[in-house]
Amino acid sequence: MISTENLTKKSGEPNEIAEVTNRKRVVNVDHLHKVYGKIVAVDDVSFSIAEGEIFGIIGPNGAGKTTMVECISGLRVPDSGTVTVYNLNPNDDREELRKLVGVQLQESSLPPRIKVVEALELFASFYPDPVVSNDLLESLGIAQKRNARFKQLSGGQKQRLSIALALIGNPKIAILDELTTGLDPDARRETWTLIERVRDRGVTVILVTHYMDEAERLCDRVALINHGKVIALDTPAALAAREGGGVRMQFVPSEPVNDKVLTVLPGVTSVEHRGSRVIVAGSGDLTTRVLYALLKMGVNASDVQVKSGNLEDAFVKLTQTDENTRKQEVDSK
Amino acid sequence: MSAQAHDTKVHKSSKPFWELMKVEGKLAIREPAGIIFGLGLPVFLLIIFGSIPAFRNTVPGTALSAFEVYIPILMVTVLIFIGLFGLPIPIVRDREIGWLRRISTTPVSPTKLLAAQVAINIIIAGISFAILTVGSVFFFGVNGSFEIPGFVLSIVLVTIALFSLGVLIAAIAPSQGVSTAMGQGLLYPLLFFAGIYVPVQFLPGYLQTISDFTPVGAAVQALDSSMQGTFPSIVPLLVMAAYAVFFSFIAIRYFRWE
Repeated sequence: MISTENLTKKSGEPNEIAEVTNRKRVVNVDHLHKVYGKIVAVDDVSFSIAEGEIFGIIGPNGAGKTTMVECISGLRVPDSGTVTVYNLNPNDDREELRKLVGVQLQESSLPPRIKVVEALELFASFYPDPVVSNDLLESLGIAQKRNARFKQLSGGQKQRLSIALALIGNPKIAILDELTTGLDPDARRETWTLIERVRDRGVTVILVTHYMDEAERLCDRVALINHGKVIALDTPAALAAREGGGVRMQFVPSEPVNDKVLTVLPGVTSVEHRGSRVIVAGSGDLTTRVLYALLKMGVNASDVQVKSGNLEDAFVKLTQTDENTRKQEVDSK
Repeated sequence: MSAQAHDTKVHKSSKPFWELMKVEGKLAIREPAGIIFGLGLPVFLLIIFGSIPAFRNTVPGTALSAFEVYIPILMVTVLIFIGLFGLPIPIVRDREIGWLRRISTTPVSPTKLLAAQVAINIIIAGISFAILTVGSVFFFGVNGSFEIPGFVLSIVLVTIALFSLGVLIAAIAPSQGVSTAMGQGLLYPLLFFAGIYVPVQFLPGYLQTISDFTPVGAAVQALDSSMQGTFPSIVPLLVMAAYAVFFSFIAIRYFRWE
C-alpha cells in the first residue's frame, strides 16, 4: 500500500507530473482547515495548482470538495491555514480576486424571468475587461437562446449559461462545481469539449466532480478527497494504473495451455480458468506478452478481452482503504 | 464593449448598480404583483373614494371631508404593501435560488443588488405618492396648502420605517412562503391601525393611543397635520424615527446572504 505522503509529494512520479510541477503555481492551499459546528469539512489540506492545468477535486458526497473551492473563491473564511490565488488572499483582496476567478456554483439558479442576454450583460458590467457576450454564447452553442428566459431553458442550456457567466469576466481561473450533474450524455460530452477549449485559451480550471469518467477524460491531475483530507493526488492515468487493480485479460485458447507458461511471464500475477476461458491478471504490458507467448507455442487465442483498471476502480479502492483505516483507528481508541 | 473598456472609472463605481437596477426593474415588470399592489391599488382606491358623493361630506368634529381623511391613509397603505410584500419577496427569492450568492462570486458586492431593490421600490412609492397628492388636489378638490417641510419629513420617516421593516422580514424569513405569511400576518393589523377600515378618529380612545404608537398610525397623524398646513407634532415624528432605527438595526444584525 502506498501511503498518502508518497502520493502528495509527487516525487519520483512519471514525467507528466514533473512537467506540471515545473509550471507556475497559481493556487496554493496550505494546511487549510474548516469546521462547521462539530463537522470537520476540510482537515489540514495542502496542494497547489499549476497555471493552465485542469485540476480535478474528486471524492464521495459530503467529502468537503465544495467547501475547499469555496475557500479558494473567497466565499468562506478558513478556520486556519492559508490560501493564495495569484498571491492574493481570497478574503482580504475580495474584489481583485473576483476579477481573476470565475465561479460556476452548484445549486445556484437565476431569476426565472431573466433573459439569457440580460444575465450575461449584467455580469459583463461587473468586470473591467469582459469578453463579448455574443461570442461566448456562440461558442457555448446557445446563441439562438439569447432572448429566452432562464426558466424556458433546458437543463443543459441552463448549465451552459452558468458556465458562460463564470467565463464572461475573462477569468484566469475558472472554478466549476458539479457542472455536468443532471445533464444527458450528449450534453455532458459537449460540455467536456467546451472545458477543453477553455483550457486551450490558457485558463486554469478547477473542476469539482463525482463522475470518474469526467475526471479521467478532462483532468491533468486529480486530488481525491475523503472526510476532508487529500488521500491521493496524481494524474488520473497514474492513479488508475497504480490503484485500479491492474489489467485483466480473457481469451479462449485453440488448445489447452499449461498455466506455467503464462505465470512465468513478467507482470502476470494470476491465471484462472472459467470453462474454456483463461483469465490472466497482472499489470503493465501484459496483453502483448501473453499473445506473443501463445503465438510462439502455435496456440491461437480467440474472443480476446482486455480490461484495465480505471480511475473509478482506484477511487473505490482508495476510499474503502481509507474508511477501513479510520474504523481501525476508532476501534483501537 | 470598447467604449466600456475606455472609461473604467465610471464602470467601476456606478455601472454595475445601474445595470442591476435595469435588470431588477425589468424583472419587477415581468412579475408585477409588487407594482399592482404598490401602484395600482392606491390609484384604484383614490378614484373609487373620490367618486363616492358621500365622501365629500365633512367628517363631524373636523374640518375635513371623508375623502381628505383617507388621502394620508392611502399613502401609508402604499408603503405597507411595499414593506410587507414588494420589497422582501424578491430579496428572499433571490437568496433562496442562490442568485445573491451567485452575485457575491463577482467583483460586485451583493449589497448593490439589495440597494437596487430598495431603489426600485422607492420609485414605485414615489410615483404612487405623486399620483395620490396631485390627483387629490387637482381632480378631487383637496386643499393644496400643505406644510411642505413637515409633509416631506413625515413621508421620508415613514418610508424608512416601513422599508426597513421589509428588509427585516427579508432578513429573518427563511423562504418566500414564510416571507409571504409574515406579510399577511402583519397586513391586517397595520391596515387597521393606519385607519383603512375605520379612520383612527372614530376608534375608541385606547385603540387611538395604540395606533399613535404604531409607525403607520403615527405617519397618518403626521401627514394629516401637514396636509392641513401645520408642522406635525414631535411625538409621531419620534415614533416613526424610533421604528426606523429599531427595524434597521435588527435587519442589519440578522441579514443572511445565503
